[in-house]
Amino acid sequence: MQTRWDIGEPERPTINEETEQLKSDLLTLNMGPQHPATHGVLRIEIWTDSEIVAHAIPHLGYLHRCMEKHAENLDFRGVIPFVDRLDYLASMNMEWTYVAAIEKMLGTEVPRRGELLRIMTAELQRIGSHLMAFGTYALDLGAFTPFLYAFEEREKILRLFEEVSGARLLYNYIWIGGVWNDWTDEQLERVSQFCDTMEIEAKKYHELVSMNKIFVQRTANVGVFSLDDCFNYGASGPVLRGSGLKWDLRKVAPYSLYPEFDFDVPVGEGEVGVVGDCWNRYYVRMKEVIESIKIIRQVLNKLEAGPVMGKVPKVIKLPKGEVYLRHECPRGELAFHLVSEGDAKKPYRLKVKSPCFTHISMLPHVAPGQMIADFVATVGSIDIVLGEVDR
Amino acid sequence: MLNVDLNKLAELLNNQISGANATVHFPEDLKKCDPSLTVEASKIFQVAQFLKSHPETPFNSLHVISGVDYVDWMEVAYVLTHYSLENPRQMILKVKLTDRVNPVLDSIVKVYAAANFQEREVFDMFGIRFNNHPDLRRILCPDDWKGWPLRKDYVAQKDYNGMAVYPDGKMNFEDREFIIRQDMIKKAQEAKAH
Repeated sequence: MQTRWDIGEPERPTINEETEQLKSDLLTLNMGPQHPATHGVLRIEIWTDSEIVAHAIPHLGYLHRCMEKHAENLDFRGVIPFVDRLDYLASMNMEWTYVAAIEKMLGTEVPRRGELLRIMTAELQRIGSHLMAFGTYALDLGAFTPFLYAFEEREKILRLFEEVSGARLLYNYIWIGGVWNDWTDEQLERVSQFCDTMEIEAKKYHELVSMNKIFVQRTANVGVFSLDDCFNYGASGPVLRGSGLKWDLRKVAPYSLYPEFDFDVPVGEGEVGVVGDCWNRYYVRMKEVIESIKIIRQVLNKLEAGPVMGKVPKVIKLPKGEVYLRHECPRGELAFHLVSEGDAKKPYRLKVKSPCFTHISMLPHVAPGQMIADFVATVGSIDIVLGEVDR
Repeated sequence: MLNVDLNKLAELLNNQISGANATVHFPEDLKKCDPSLTVEASKIFQVAQFLKSHPETPFNSLHVISGVDYVDWMEVAYVLTHYSLENPRQMILKVKLTDRVNPVLDSIVKVYAAANFQEREVFDMFGIRFNNHPDLRRILCPDDWKGWPLRKDYVAQKDYNGMAVYPDGKMNFEDREFIIRQDMIKKAQEAKAH
C-alpha cells in the first residue's frame, strides 16, 4: 500500500517581480485539525513561501464515523438519525433527501400537508444554515459582531424545530411517508412573524457586512473558481451559482412540489469583485435567504388541514435495484446512491454524495499563489461541514 | 436517468470504442429504480474521454464514484452529469470487477478532476487500485489502517497502534452477518478450486 506523500518540490507561483526576488525556502504549515477557520476538524497541510501558499493538501478523516458501514446494518427507518449527523447544520435537508430515496423505491405517496411542511422545514433549515455560514464567515475574517446577530435569528428557527420535533439540531423529524408531527396554528403564526423580522434583519446584515469596506477588501477577487473548474470538479450549490451558472435542482430538475412555487435562483453577478470569487459566493447565500422566505410565505398560504403521514408498511422492504436521488441542500447537491438487494430490510449499500467533499477537492487547485489570509477566506467561503465530508 | 437515451448511447459506444461491450440494464419498474449502463472495466478511460468530448450529448461533469461489493463481483458506479440549463443530463455508468484479490481500474483523473478524491475514497473503502492516479492514498481511514472497510467480508482489526478499537462485544450483534458472508466467500472459492 502506498502511504506516503511523495511528489517532489511543487512548482512555485510567481506573482510579480518583487516576490520573485523574495523567494525563500518552503515552510510546511499545518492549518488544523483544531483551527478556528476550518469549521471542524479538517487539517490542511500548506507549503508556504513566506506568506504565499505554494501548495495545499487537505487531510480528511478526523470525523470519520463509518456511517456508510453502519447503514448497512440498520433497517431503513433506523438510518434516519444517522443521516441527521452528516450535515448537522442542515439535518432537515439531509433527512428529506434520504427519505425521498426510500419513498421513490417504495412508491409511497406523501399527503399534501406533509409535503408542504417538508418544504417549509427544509427552507427554514436553509435559512438557518446560511445564517451560520454568514456568521462564521465573518468570524473567520475577524468580525465577531455578525456572528451574534446571526445566532439571534438562528435561535428562533431552532426553537421552532425544538417545539415541533423535540430536538434542537438532530431532529429525526421527517419520516418515511411524511413528517411525524404536525405544526399548530400558533407555531405557523410564529413562522410568519419570523419571515417578517428575517427580511428586516437581512437588510441589516447587508449594511453591516456585505458592503463593508474591510469585508469587501478581504473577499472580493479572492479565491476565484472559474465555471470550467466548477464543471471539472463537479461543484454544485452556492459555489456553482457564485461562479455564474443559474443551476438549482429545484428549478432544473424539480422535485416534490417545487414547480408550484414562485422564486428566483440567485447567481453571482459580480456587483463587487469578479464572478466566482469569495464575495459572490457569500452574496449568493444571502440572496438565497430572501428566496427561502418567499417560499415559506407561499407554503403558509397553501397549507390546508389534513394528514401529515401517508400509509407506509410496517416493515419496509424495497424492490431489487438502485436509485440515485439528489436534492438541493444549503451546501450543494446532496445525493444518496441506494442499492437494495430485494426483500431485504436493510440497505445493501448506501453511498452519500457529499457536496463539501467535492468542494474541498477544489482547494489544492485554487490555493497556489494565494496569501495565507486569503486562503482562510477561501476555505470559509465554501462553507464546509466536516460531518458530511468525513461521514 | 435524466434526458439520456441509454440504448442509443450504448450502441454508439459499441461502434466507437472496440471492446467497450456496453450493455444497458433496465430495472423492472422504471419509476422506482434507475437504469444504468455497464461497460468493460479495461475501457473506462476511453469511455469517459468519449463521453466528455462527445459533440451531441457530452457530460461535462463527474458527480460521484461509488463502489458496491456483491461478494462474487465488485461494481464501481460513476455518476456523470451535464451542467446545462437547456438540457441537463445525468446517467449511471458502471464497470464490473471480478477479481477480488487485486482489482485494478484505469484512473480517469485526467478526464474529470473530480475523480481524484472520489477514486481515493473507492480505494480506501474497497481496495480497488487505480492506474495512473496522481496520489493514491487512503483518504478517510488512517494511512496504516488494515483492510477495506466497505467490503462485505471485512472484519475490523482489534487494535490499532496499541489502542483498542474493536474490543469483544462492543459492536452490535448484527456483525454475525459478516461471518456468514465470509463463509459464503470461502464456499465460492472452494467451488472454484474444484
